[in-house]
Amino acid sequence: MLIKVTSVANSGLETMKVDVEVNLASRGLPGFDIVGLPDKAVDESRERVRAAISSSKIDFPQKKITVNLAPADIPKEGSFYDLPIATGILAGQTGCKVPDDSLFFGELSLDGSLRHTKGALLLALFAREAGFKNIFVPKDSANEAAIIRGVKVYPVENLSQLILHLLDRECIIPAIYKEKKEDLRGEPVEFDMKEILGQEQAKRAMEIAAAGGHNILMVGSPGTGKTMLARALPGILPPLNEKESLEVTKIHSAAGNIPPGGALITIRQFRSPHHTTSQVGLIGGGTRPHPGEISLAHRGVLFLDEFNEFPRSVLEALRQPLEDGYLTIARSRERVKYPARFMLVASANPCPCGYLNHPKKACICSFRTIKKYQKRVSGPIMDRIDLHVDVPPVDVNDLSENQKASEFLETSEAIRNRVIQAWQIQKERFKQEPIYVNAEMKNSHIKKYCPLKKEVEQLLQQAGVKFQLSARSYLKMIKIARTIADLEKAPDVDIPHMAEALQYRPKVYGETV
Amino acid sequence: MEKQFNLETGKIGENFAKEYLKKKGYNIIEQNYRSKFAEIDLVAKDKKELVFVEVRTKRGEMFGTPEETLNKRKLRKLWLNARGYTSRIKWSGPYRIDAVCIVLKTDNTLERLNHYASIV
Repeated sequence: MLIKVTSVANSGLETMKVDVEVNLASRGLPGFDIVGLPDKAVDESRERVRAAISSSKIDFPQKKITVNLAPADIPKEGSFYDLPIATGILAGQTGCKVPDDSLFFGELSLDGSLRHTKGALLLALFAREAGFKNIFVPKDSANEAAIIRGVKVYPVENLSQLILHLLDRECIIPAIYKEKKEDLRGEPVEFDMKEILGQEQAKRAMEIAAAGGHNILMVGSPGTGKTMLARALPGILPPLNEKESLEVTKIHSAAGNIPPGGALITIRQFRSPHHTTSQVGLIGGGTRPHPGEISLAHRGVLFLDEFNEFPRSVLEALRQPLEDGYLTIARSRERVKYPARFMLVASANPCPCGYLNHPKKACICSFRTIKKYQKRVSGPIMDRIDLHVDVPPVDVNDLSENQKASEFLETSEAIRNRVIQAWQIQKERFKQEPIYVNAEMKNSHIKKYCPLKKEVEQLLQQAGVKFQLSARSYLKMIKIARTIADLEKAPDVDIPHMAEALQYRPKVYGETV
Repeated sequence: MEKQFNLETGKIGENFAKEYLKKKGYNIIEQNYRSKFAEIDLVAKDKKELVFVEVRTKRGEMFGTPEETLNKRKLRKLWLNARGYTSRIKWSGPYRIDAVCIVLKTDNTLERLNHYASIV
């Protein structure tokens, strides 16, 4: 007897249909084999399925069972083939019908219940695209799948319930999407901008970065508040819009980061990988390419603390995704494209001891060690960072005074409102384009949307000659000036905007300003 | 003592298997065929097909099922024996190898009997 159950196979963020063919042969010794390039997790599914069926008080058929995952030449990965395989066997045993407009997906527990399985959102998206009407997913993953409208999502609690449903004896009620407001993915906002004393210029730079989605590098001595500033950044970022939410949730669904019962991610991600993170961990990769930190930070913030401590090879790998906003990982078996449009926030010390240019403390580093330290981050990477900011040390005397004044400092909330307004202006400007913020502008966009007045262009040209700006920095200055103008709701870029933008140009540390 | 006991169990099982196959319309040709190399429990004829039957008997399933005792090595042996037999009697028609797995109760009556066709 041959039974066909439909499921899927994932490769990166792409999904394809897989037919799970279950053959129950009465000739031959009883056995259970899975063919069609299963990986270890799929092969072990035999044991889970066997135990789950017996636990559901159904006799495991004493027949020679062959399961084929077609197309047979594509490697199958993951634990979610448990449910389609078990369904196929049970359909053979109980005679229930398997609807062919349905997809089955889920990992079995030995007691016959279904566990939360990663990738439910990708499955639902595929079902809608490919015209499947129903999907059967574990109960814990049902909310995640129900984000997609137009597909009936059946939350399955255990195997016996599913069989009774397929036999038309009981009915599983399709899940309805429940929004979750408190679903804070990533790290919660630790600091309010109000708590950071002094550093008004750095805060301003943060605001500009948040408003235009610009990359930012903060350089300063230890203890000046670089990390605090970065951790306060999520608090001034606008929430994700609907389209962005789906993109981000897709990546996290594929990576298995969504908790049971999880919903759409609406908050911008803040990822801060440690500087010992490997290249594959940061960029993504592996024999079956997995998304890295940069993809998990998609439409959010990637914070690299101690920027100079990252191995050079890891940082160099950031070059292409920083420009393109996505990255293609090619391995011998497959090619995967992951989006990676993130805001890079980096912090570094100016020299190994950390006190170069410190007004009070002396730097003990030799010229050579400073050069060596700064050389760890290459010019091309520095050139790709829009805003370069000095975070000077705060005087202790000022600190106690500022403590009193901190009540009058601006809260993250107030800054965030300005940022949201700037985002709205940009959204209006780029409504014909596939981009959201100024930082994403390509040369053609700059030409089209940021015509400079004569005097502004003159200023930029003079600065370009004096500071030896590269062509890329030159264009970046225009983008930053545009963002500053947007923050002020100015229709055109004016001289003050450009003058401020020029303060954030790439600098050589130790350079006398 | 022990060995004798197992042999007896096997004999009882083989007789049960023989009765079962006869009832199914098989023609039993040989029981306990032995040669220098081979030992075949039952040779029967199912219509035009020659059937070699391996009978596995156990007393209770406490220490494993009879099915479990059919490992790769034994299956290979069955296949070789069957080939030897067919060439000896110059059989050119179809043939297959079956297994009959029997579990006995303590009073030597049948608890279950399963017939698996074409196991190699």
